[in-house]
Amino acid sequence: MSLNIIFREKDIPNIREFDVYSKNGGYEALKKALSQTRKQVIDEVKASNLRGRGGAGFPTGVKWSFIPQDNPINYVVVNADESETGTFKDRQIMENNPHQMIEGALICAYAIKAAAVYIYLRGEFWDVAHALDAEIARARKAGLFGPNGKLKDADGNPFKVDIFTHLGAGAYICGEETALLNSIEGKLGQPRVRPPFPANKGGGLYNEPTVVNNVETLANVPWIINNGAEEYKKIGVGSSSGTKIFCLSGHVKNPGNYELPFGVTFRQLLYDYGGGPLNGGEFKAILPSGGSGPILRVTDEVLDTPLTYDDLRKFNSILGSASVIVMDDTVDIVWVASKVTKFFKHESCGKCTPCREGTYWLDKVLDRILAGGGKESDVDLIMSVAKNMQPTTLCAFGEFAANPTIWTINVFPEEFKAWVDGSKKPAEEKAVARPARERVAAAAAPAGD
Amino acid sequence: MAEQKLVTITIDGKAYQVPAGENLVDAARNHADNQIPVFCYHPKMAPVGMCRMCLVEMGTPERDPNTREIVHDEDGNVKVRWMPKLQTACTQTVSDGMYIRTTTDQVADARNNVLEFLLTSHPLDCPVCDKGGECALQDLTMAHGPGKTRMVFSEKMHLDKIVPLGDLIVLDEERCIQCARCIRFQDEIVGDDVLAFHERGRTLRIITKSDPGFDTYFSGNTTDICPVGALTTVDFRFGARPWEMTSVPSIDPWDAAGSNISLDMRLDRDFGGRAMIKRVMPRQNEWVNEIWISDKVRFGHHFTRAEERICAPLLRNNGNLNEVSWTEALDTVAGVLKAANGDIGLIVGSGASNEDLWALRQVVNGLGSERLGAWPVTHTGGELIAQVGVGKGTNLGKLGKGDVVLIVASDIEEEVPIWRLRIKQAHDRGAAVIVANARKTRMDDFASHTFRYEAGKAAHWLADLKKSAPEAAEAVKSAANLIILTGAEGLTLEGHAALMQAAANLLIETGHVGKPNNGLLSTFPGANGVGQYYLGYTPEQSVAMAAKPPKVLLVAQADMLADDPSVAAWLDKVETIISFSMLPDGITAKFAKVVLPIQSFAERDGTFTNGERRVQRFYTAQGPMGWSLPLWQIANRLGEKLGQGKAKLSAAAVMKEIAASVPAFEGMDYRALSKVEKQYPDVGGASDSYYYSGTACKNTGGLGVVIPTAADKGETVKAGEVKLPAVPKAGKGEFVIIPSTRLYNREAQFKLSTVVHPRVMVPFAEINSADAAKLGITSGDVVQISANGGSVRVRANVNGGAPEGSVVLPRHLTDEPVPMAITVGQVSKV
Repeated sequence: MSLNIIFREKDIPNIREFDVYSKNGGYEALKKALSQTRKQVIDEVKASNLRGRGGAGFPTGVKWSFIPQDNPINYVVVNADESETGTFKDRQIMENNPHQMIEGALICAYAIKAAAVYIYLRGEFWDVAHALDAEIARARKAGLFGPNGKLKDADGNPFKVDIFTHLGAGAYICGEETALLNSIEGKLGQPRVRPPFPANKGGGLYNEPTVVNNVETLANVPWIINNGAEEYKKIGVGSSSGTKIFCLSGHVKNPGNYELPFGVTFRQLLYDYGGGPLNGGEFKAILPSGGSGPILRVTDEVLDTPLTYDDLRKFNSILGSASVIVMDDTVDIVWVASKVTKFFKHESCGKCTPCREGTYWLDKVLDRILAGGGKESDVDLIMSVAKNMQPTTLCAFGEFAANPTIWTINVFPEEFKAWVDGSKKPAEEKAVARPARERVAAAAAPAGD
Repeated sequence: MAEQKLVTITIDGKAYQVPAGENLVDAARNHADNQIPVFCYHPKMAPVGMCRMCLVEMGTPERDPNTREIVHDEDGNVKVRWMPKLQTACTQTVSDGMYIRTTTDQVADARNNVLEFLLTSHPLDCPVCDKGGECALQDLTMAHGPGKTRMVFSEKMHLDKIVPLGDLIVLDEERCIQCARCIRFQDEIVGDDVLAFHERGRTLRIITKSDPGFDTYFSGNTTDICPVGALTTVDFRFGARPWEMTSVPSIDPWDAAGSNISLDMRLDRDFGGRAMIKRVMPRQNEWVNEIWISDKVRFGHHFTRAEERICAPLLRNNGNLNEVSWTEALDTVAGVLKAANGDIGLIVGSGASNEDLWALRQVVNGLGSERLGAWPVTHTGGELIAQVGVGKGTNLGKLGKGDVVLIVASDIEEEVPIWRLRIKQAHDRGAAVIVANARKTRMDDFASHTFRYEAGKAAHWLADLKKSAPEAAEAVKSAANLIILTGAEGLTLEGHAALMQAAANLLIETGHVGKPNNGLLSTFPGANGVGQYYLGYTPEQSVAMAAKPPKVLLVAQADMLADDPSVAAWLDKVETIISFSMLPDGITAKFAKVVLPIQSFAERDGTFTNGERRVQRFYTAQGPMGWSLPLWQIANRLGEKLGQGKAKLSAAAVMKEIAASVPAFEGMDYRALSKVEKQYPDVGGASDSYYYSGTACKNTGGLGVVIPTAADKGETVKAGEVKLPAVPKAGKGEFVIIPSTRLYNREAQFKLSTVVHPRVMVPFAEINSADAAKLGITSGDVVQISANGGSVRVRANVNGGAPEGSVVLPRHLTDEPVPMAITVGQVSKV
């Protein structure tokens, strides 16, 4: 079943190197795209049903078609911030097959008439960025793009788009596309109000229309151009075409990245590829799209669900970036809720009120419940707080940040009940009722966690 | 103005016609009387949609996909396609066919929930908070918020409560609701981006990036627009509750902008139970200062009640000044004046009101003298202002694309900060700002083009603009609107006269006169520099008196000895000097035979004529200090003693006389000057405006009346000859001394501010690096600068701020006077 569209290093060793990539058909897709009109390229991508792999699943070709072609300066931004909990696929792509992403980005740049490509990497990826810079330099030197680019497009104009990498400073929110654009511009990593959207004038990078695509999305593009949309649609099922990289982690024997066609079921992923439960436990819960998404109780129905954009909807769930985190029955779900909420509290940018205050509040109450100080009304309280956050926040972060609370309470109500009715107690007795002065001091400590 | 296009929007089922392009929050407020609550949104700044308080339901009419016709339901109502999520009203621009709902449960819940979130970690400080009573968070919580908290008190976040952002503003991090109004004010409106957010999430907090902290001349405005009590001024902090104070309309006494202010008064223990200025607030006047004021006026008011004030008439006997009664003092002065046989001179400072100027002039004219000197002798050309000054209806806030502001020989940030703030925004809106000076000034940061000329040669540069700056000449020619703003930096009085004439000529030649937003402006010192001209006082007369001193000299509200070292020599030749003064100065100490105590602007009423010729009223706020009297009244009583008629009973009566006698003031009685009209944004009106635009005061004291120019009245104005002055040349071993202005200085009144003094610079002078190298001077060295018969010791500042061969020497930083106009002097290392 294995088909490596992206992870071609499994078939061709050292394809990360420019020479090896070139010898194996590298940059042929770019040349082919340049021989076509921009509209043809966009239509091909549209026809392929390629959807954004960063989480939202928005049709890529449609996104490209939003860019006004008559605008003198457009940009392509590659979102390589990869910061969703449990996601680690983009790093593998950039480390092992970087040119395919670069080629995809260049094809996009041609299609939307972009002036430059920016690859935005999370700050921790400094070594990846370093290696990427070296490979970009090699390809640039070979005359494929940049100021000395030798290729010409269908109209005979030289193709001189250039590529730059840009490192972030370590913030989850900078994976949100408008916060990412702010970060590239040197501003505080806070999301912008939309509209205008990044594809509109005034909404993108330096106010110019911009396409922001995930690494994996763009890495699919050369294959589509080379083999055609029809071939691509043969992979996967329904409106979920192509392959998807599943980042499998948690209590499985073989965690890791698996590139599989859409339509593979949880059961296949967890047992056939993941090797089943670690330490012989029972699977209890799945976070199918990292911390920001829903939580599912492992049932036969869930296990037999094909992993596609559409099939997960029946659980009100999303595929997201397909970072599948699996938990066995040793895991306390309330602890999971607290752990993930802590992450969001720590990463909230603080720009809008509900998210800034809500994540802090949820975290405090969950902490109290886990310390044995919870009441039954606290469960209703955090449910209400989380639900009040969702319709009022500025960006999607606030909606995600409320998810762990809402989903864990809805799916595992008995676990919360056990904590608040006293049947479950903290492992070691923590002094819940500390003197007031001490409580104030603890609360005053910065939220560094 | 062009007819505004209207669009139809439907708010809560009712249709309204509103101007296209208007912000939805403004439109709902201004045209539908619907107060959409806001925290981060401010009508003067770009929206950011952060606080989420203004969430509303938004929709568009459903259209048939084939016919594009609007779909109606069975009852014939438009079917509206509502957006699934609530939208922030502040980030929406009204568009035709927009549907808004603000009263649904969904909206009410959102408002309640956002307030609950804001209050989770907000301290319960209201009983001791400066903002309590005029607080957006309080008001909106009462209107839309939850009555009870669900947050466990011990789980509240605690942050630092006393964080000085600078010498003037203190931040309470707990109270802050992270609306970024202060940051955005500094970035967008001022252009001093000295504030920023630090950290993220719940620990997101305001920091200052500058050293010294919060380094700007406008910091106080952030406390007005702060929707909570997070930002407080060191001056007002914990000083009074808003409801205890009475707001008295007044005018900025410091500069030519004539910012409208409000003196917030309270009977106070610290002032013997008398009405005391607790704080100075901006008063809205969209033509003058909008809703902003500089920190100088906000924090410089302490002199009005300072212990140093002269509280009784003083008479010199055997060299010593002794307190005497008004009767004795006035009798003495009347005797001196009668004995002078008309050899009388009068010099009045630029802080005296129109009424003062008129009343004093009557006394002197009545004794047969026409010697009316204006002080200081830096700026002139009032007659050109009267001809081609900025046209009636000018509003710097309306300048934008296609317009040009040409600034010559002014360090406008230091001279008239509010003009600098408003011209900076004109630049942001697309106006071309051209700055020409002999040295770099702050305005260069907000200029489209900057030009340098040789020190003293501003008029030379402007008169020959086509040659000296062809791009500027081109821009000026093709400008839709053109304002030329002159200063007198690095110029002699003749130099400024020539510059004014060159500017007037350019305006006339390019047809930029007699229209709103076109014409001449100058940074006349003090609040009433232009008023001096209209009431017959000129600096040239002061110069003439220096050349031929009168027998008796009346000096009113002019600290002459602090203005130039050369003054002492000619004052010495005057037989008798009578001083009208608020504070002891060089003249009262050594020269005056009689000292008559006058009242400050806060203790009396009157009018000032600002740089744009707007005559504006200020009102009595504080009780008098001791036996001091308004300057006009002293003059009137003196006149009575001299048999010139009965003293007037009020300043209003004096104004009536001015209006009847001086054509420029025709029709300007106090009633006309007190007229107000509705202004946008609507500030300080209903109590709900606190959250909308801050605590700036509603204007109930009057918007003032502008004196029309000759060009406004359709009279023909002709270009005149520019008499290019000789420029001081430094000989061997000499330097050209360029005096400059500092907003914060040690002038007699300002140095009594009890809060700003840490921000007044240590006396310094800018020295060119090449010159400094020759003299072996580095930054921080003490140098002695001698000129005009005086010398001062200051710290050298070698950072490229001065052209080669010259020294830029700020005035009024040292105790000893430095030259007032460009001159030549010596510099040596100490």
